[in-house]
Amino acid sequence: MIPINKKLILFGIFLIILAWLSLDELVEDWSQIEGAPEKLETFFSEDLWPPDWSVLEAEVWTDGSLHKPNGDICDEKIELLCSKAWTGMVITVKMAFVATLVGFFFAIPLASLAAANLAPLPIAIPARVLLAGLRSLPSIIWALLFAIALGFGPLPGILAMTLYTIGYLGKLQYEAMEGVHNAPLESGLAMGLTHSEQLFHVVIPESSNHLLSQLLFMFEYNVRHGAVLGLVGAGGIGMYIDNYINPPFDYNKAFALLIVVFVVVVIIDLLSMLIRSFVTEEGDVKRPKWWSVILPPSMAVDMYSKTEEE
Amino acid sequence: MLVETPPSLSKGDNQKEPKSLTLRNLSVGYDEPLISGINKTIYPGDTIAILGPSGIGKTTLMRTIAGLIRPLSGTISHDYPRRGGIGYIPQRLGLIRHSTVRSNIALGARTRRSKWYPSWYPLDRSLNQDVDSAMKALKLEDIADEPVRILSGGQQRRVAIARTLVQRPRIILADEFLSELDIDNVNSIIKATKEIVEEIGATLVLIEHHEERAIELADRIWRIVDNKLIEEGDSDQ
Repeated sequence: MIPINKKLILFGIFLIILAWLSLDELVEDWSQIEGAPEKLETFFSEDLWPPDWSVLEAEVWTDGSLHKPNGDICDEKIELLCSKAWTGMVITVKMAFVATLVGFFFAIPLASLAAANLAPLPIAIPARVLLAGLRSLPSIIWALLFAIALGFGPLPGILAMTLYTIGYLGKLQYEAMEGVHNAPLESGLAMGLTHSEQLFHVVIPESSNHLLSQLLFMFEYNVRHGAVLGLVGAGGIGMYIDNYINPPFDYNKAFALLIVVFVVVVIIDLLSMLIRSFVTEEGDVKRPKWWSVILPPSMAVDMYSKTEEE
Repeated sequence: MLVETPPSLSKGDNQKEPKSLTLRNLSVGYDEPLISGINKTIYPGDTIAILGPSGIGKTTLMRTIAGLIRPLSGTISHDYPRRGGIGYIPQRLGLIRHSTVRSNIALGARTRRSKWYPSWYPLDRSLNQDVDSAMKALKLEDIADEPVRILSGGQQRRVAIARTLVQRPRIILADEFLSELDIDNVNSIIKATKEIVEEIGATLVLIEHHEERAIELADRIWRIVDNKLIEEGDSDQ
């Protein structure tokens, strides 16, 4: 019999009550829930559904010729490559790629200065304040600021994503660095390794799994966010989504583009799993069978022993 | 803690002339002293085994000598170079699990060149040859490019030892470095360690639970009894 931790259960109940009281205080009019599902269903069935997949096709002009969204003649063999979905997504992915990579290389040294196990507090605290400052403004606000300074287009979007990436990724990185085991750091310290040697040869390899995972997550985040940055004219697929959710509303096309973003995010996630498998230890151990996740533990153990015998 | 580093020793050469280490009125511990009143001098070429039951402060003493913990009182004075002068093999070995055997061992060689080299700059030929020799001595050549995380406990221990030996420190502090090894491994590691320690004239301080092995290995035995460090055969105590 597993002993029940009463204090933990009481603490959990306390947190749930606290959350409920906060919610109740925030929501002044609960009657607004009434009819919400019906409204949502109407919006979905009348405005969003079915997605308009013409966003996967090139634009057809009155003379019957096929064109890219920027007006150039489509000379690709596959029409999809001239579509708004493709061209927009390619721009967004390129923006996210540049911003994530540049942000990563700036974030690593800053994170190493902010990690409490690598730098003394007088250095770590200013580094943390800088990182907090960079991520306290959402990337859409950064994009707005850069759009005012530089005008519309991908450049303000890239700069906005880069700054936000440094702030956000930097925090994840210094937390990963602080999670590195003490033993290798202590050996390095006793040996007299410099801060940069500790960073390059101990901390980065030791936390490589987390750093890689965060890098790929940030790339995915920036791709998703590219859809939002379009709202302030930062280019990419977000710009087309913005066009469709503004007058003369074309939600079916916007919905189709959102599905495209979703598919790309899933592909990035699968790639991320593949890339991370080179540095994680999951390849070193046997994977659990699919049914062991669904069945009750006792049945799973029985089935597992049977399959092992076979 | 007094650490004097003459300028002539700060250029990446860890082995220029024999140096000693002195502990004066040393008390070690965290909040309360675990061992106090330590007065000892360690000479080049000494092999010292620290004995005592678990939790008595052996590792704390070793970590204090390694400069990882401040002493509660007293001083540790030595003139080992700050870079590369001390080799420390902790109980958990301190290896970089995701790096290869070669990269782990090369870390020791890095301390033998100036700290002003960029950390990404590759090792020169002679340091690389030393890495190869250490791998050969500890029979690690066949797994040189394997990540450390997939190795057995014994193989990992040999990597940790190779890393320290290639560092060529003045003093090697090894915390239970022979535990979890079978007898063949113990003998081969003792042989390789002794050969290299003699070759570089280093001091070896080790924590050892196996008393017979400690007596066989060491020429000085430090035993911790009732918060005091007693040296066997030392009539002054």
